[in-house]
Amino acid sequence: MKSARLPWIIAIFCLGLAGVIAELSWMKVRVSIPEMGKKQIEPSLGQGVLLGILGGFRTVIADGAWIRSYVLWERRDRAGCEALMRTSCLLDPRARFFWENTGYVIGYDMAHWEIRKRGGYAKVSAEIQDDLFKKYAQHGINVMEEGIKYTGGNVGILISAGQMSELKLKDFSLAATYYKRASESKNAPWFVHFMCARALWESGKTKAAYDWYREVWQKKLSLEDDHAPDDLEHLRFMEDQLNLTILQRIPRQSWEKKN
Amino acid sequence: MNTGPAIAVKGLTKDFRIGMRGLKLRAVDNVSLEIPRGQVFGLLGPNGCGKSTTLKIILGLVSPTAGEVSILGFPFATTSARSRTGFLPEAPYFHKFLTGRELVAYCARLSGVKPESVNQAVEDALALTAMTEAGDRTIGTYSKGMLQRIGLAQAIVHDPELVILDEPTAGVDPVGSAAIGQMIKAMKAKGKTIVLCSHLLGQVEQVCDRIAIMDRGKLVLEGRVDDVLTRRDQTIISVENLTPEARRAAEEVLAQHGARVTSFTHPRRSLDDLFRELVTGSRDA
Amino acid sequence: MPDFMKASLTRISWMTRLTFLEAIRQRFFAFLILLSAALVLSSVSLRFLDFGHGELKFVCDFGFGGMFLFGSVLAVVMSAQLFFAEMDNRTALTLLAKPVSRTEFLVGKFIGVWLVLGVFIFTLSTLLGIILWARCQELTVAAVEVGKAPPEFSITGLFSYTGMQWARLGVVAAMILMVASLARTFLFTVIVGSMLVVAGQLQWLAQETLLKPGDLNFFSKLLLSVSTYIIPNLQQFNIGDALTLDHGSVADGAVTLALFSGGCYIVVFLFIGSLIFRQREI
Repeated sequence: MKSARLPWIIAIFCLGLAGVIAELSWMKVRVSIPEMGKKQIEPSLGQGVLLGILGGFRTVIADGAWIRSYVLWERRDRAGCEALMRTSCLLDPRARFFWENTGYVIGYDMAHWEIRKRGGYAKVSAEIQDDLFKKYAQHGINVMEEGIKYTGGNVGILISAGQMSELKLKDFSLAATYYKRASESKNAPWFVHFMCARALWESGKTKAAYDWYREVWQKKLSLEDDHAPDDLEHLRFMEDQLNLTILQRIPRQSWEKKN
Repeated sequence: MNTGPAIAVKGLTKDFRIGMRGLKLRAVDNVSLEIPRGQVFGLLGPNGCGKSTTLKIILGLVSPTAGEVSILGFPFATTSARSRTGFLPEAPYFHKFLTGRELVAYCARLSGVKPESVNQAVEDALALTAMTEAGDRTIGTYSKGMLQRIGLAQAIVHDPELVILDEPTAGVDPVGSAAIGQMIKAMKAKGKTIVLCSHLLGQVEQVCDRIAIMDRGKLVLEGRVDDVLTRRDQTIISVENLTPEARRAAEEVLAQHGARVTSFTHPRRSLDDLFRELVTGSRDA
Repeated sequence: MPDFMKASLTRISWMTRLTFLEAIRQRFFAFLILLSAALVLSSVSLRFLDFGHGELKFVCDFGFGGMFLFGSVLAVVMSAQLFFAEMDNRTALTLLAKPVSRTEFLVGKFIGVWLVLGVFIFTLSTLLGIILWARCQELTVAAVEVGKAPPEFSITGLFSYTGMQWARLGVVAAMILMVASLARTFLFTVIVGSMLVVAGQLQWLAQETLLKPGDLNFFSKLLLSVSTYIIPNLQQFNIGDALTLDHGSVADGAVTLALFSGGCYIVVFLFIGSLIFRQREI
């Protein structure tokens, strides 16, 4: 009897060992797979995307889910639209397009749907409208923040989040933080530094805005082929606004046009 | 050299579990028999009597509930036993895309024939079973008789000491059946032990040296064919002119009447008759 | 090498050959490989559906999806079918009456199926590699013209991923043979096997939940923990994007460890399958 049980005991032990090795392997491998946790996957179940979640044809199914979301967008189906858009994000979490546009739709469109659902602009008070715009904008920014995490700090999403903070939340300080992160990215576009400085300026941190912008111009922008003359022009405006002395200003550049 | 029986079965019992309630069907009930080496042994019985189960246990395909089995002195279900055994199942099926030669070579390799000897072994097996010419055709093109013959070839390619044939002539025409009978005799001439399961009692009677009859899992009869078929309770006196009485009285009377007794023999019934008598009797008991 | 081991390996190799020959002849195999190839080829013409993923990623996804979906179907169905064909046709009777052990039978079947799956995977992978290379050349020319960075992909990454998928399919095949050793019918094996494959692909959810258990009760944790050992995490083999398109985002040794993990599960499942098969009455 003992000898009959021994192979089974060995089998169960080996199964356990295989499980331990698999766990170690998963710890190493999971960093390469931008998968989400159980909470994020739940809304997507029932959207007919099981195949994509299992691991196949993700891009195609994500695209299909996105196209289906357009139908719900037209119907102003807030919950359904968000679920399908999030599904696309889940299936292809490294794609900027899905995160950015999901944030846009939530932040810019859904507040209007809610207002219309509650009776229209005439019926809903300005206060409530404002609250709704802020609520959905924050929700949109949260989505974009997730997208920033999964795309490894995509510049486009950072800028979009900053814009939404500015336009909908009227939070220039928050916008500035996003623009700053974008500015520090490897693929930062030429205009983002000015956007950051302007947002800081608008938030009341005028001196800080100038100091930061100047540092960026001196360390990075001035080294470009054309020395970034537009940025220097903005800096000169700031210097004038701050009434800086000649010694406090950026020295005049040889190529700079005289006023 | 081991001179023990080819197959020794002691107290073999096999129960099958039926359904969920733990009911058991006893397929083989305390069967004991010995099959001597170098003989053709017929294992007979009606459908469902347990002979196929007995064969499967001998071959290690099914495990017994109780009892012991040894094959050529080796414990059953071991590679030592199976490497010395050849088996032709009932209604054999082989991969249709293989040629006959490929199948037999494949079986030779599986049975442990050395690579350098495989080709010769294959040709010998095909020759014995008259399949040399058809050896390069795919099995899918074979007739029923050819399938049985190629099945026999794969069973003997590794020159086993023991060959087990389950219904080797089932569905085969009389000519083919007779040919297989000749092959069995040829194998016996080479010193092999053959165990034959068949419903063709006429052929079994001609080919087998010993038989065993099973019914409802039990062994009801076992012995030499001549012994079991000869009716020793009766005597045939072959005489020229007189009726039988006691032998001496008859001889005296006959002698008085000028007649001569030429032989005293016992009547013989056919295996068919014996089989039906025993099996029918068991069911009615 | 001892004689008995040589003899055993010889028997396994002959069982493998026959299984491979039988499997490669099947129309089902030809159908799936053609379908998968057509799918991969069609990715080039369907690239208008690309929502900014990048064309190479889009094409890769078709190839990886084909390997995943059709490879899984092939592994499940073919493993079960080749096993039950032997049982139903009773060729298993003839084979197992020879000095072939149940373990050798199962291992021979497994290796034969795995080799067929290898043919499938490597054929698709080669086709995908050719398409990626061709598109990469065209996209590079276009990118240089507009001053953008040209797209890149890694051939070695692609073949590493192919190896991982082959390992994954090996785990699936071994799992199916284990189930088949116990099951009585082909249909049952396919259904249960498919469910196990789905469970394996979703196993990562259990492992992620265990990393952050939150307010899970003891029994839920125990159940999840046990499942992570019994059911292999097949998602660990799905790092095609990282290997092929994103250089440097795969941890050192991750591929080797995943392959080793797959090998361990293959051995364990075949071992358990042979223990079950030994008790089976043919």
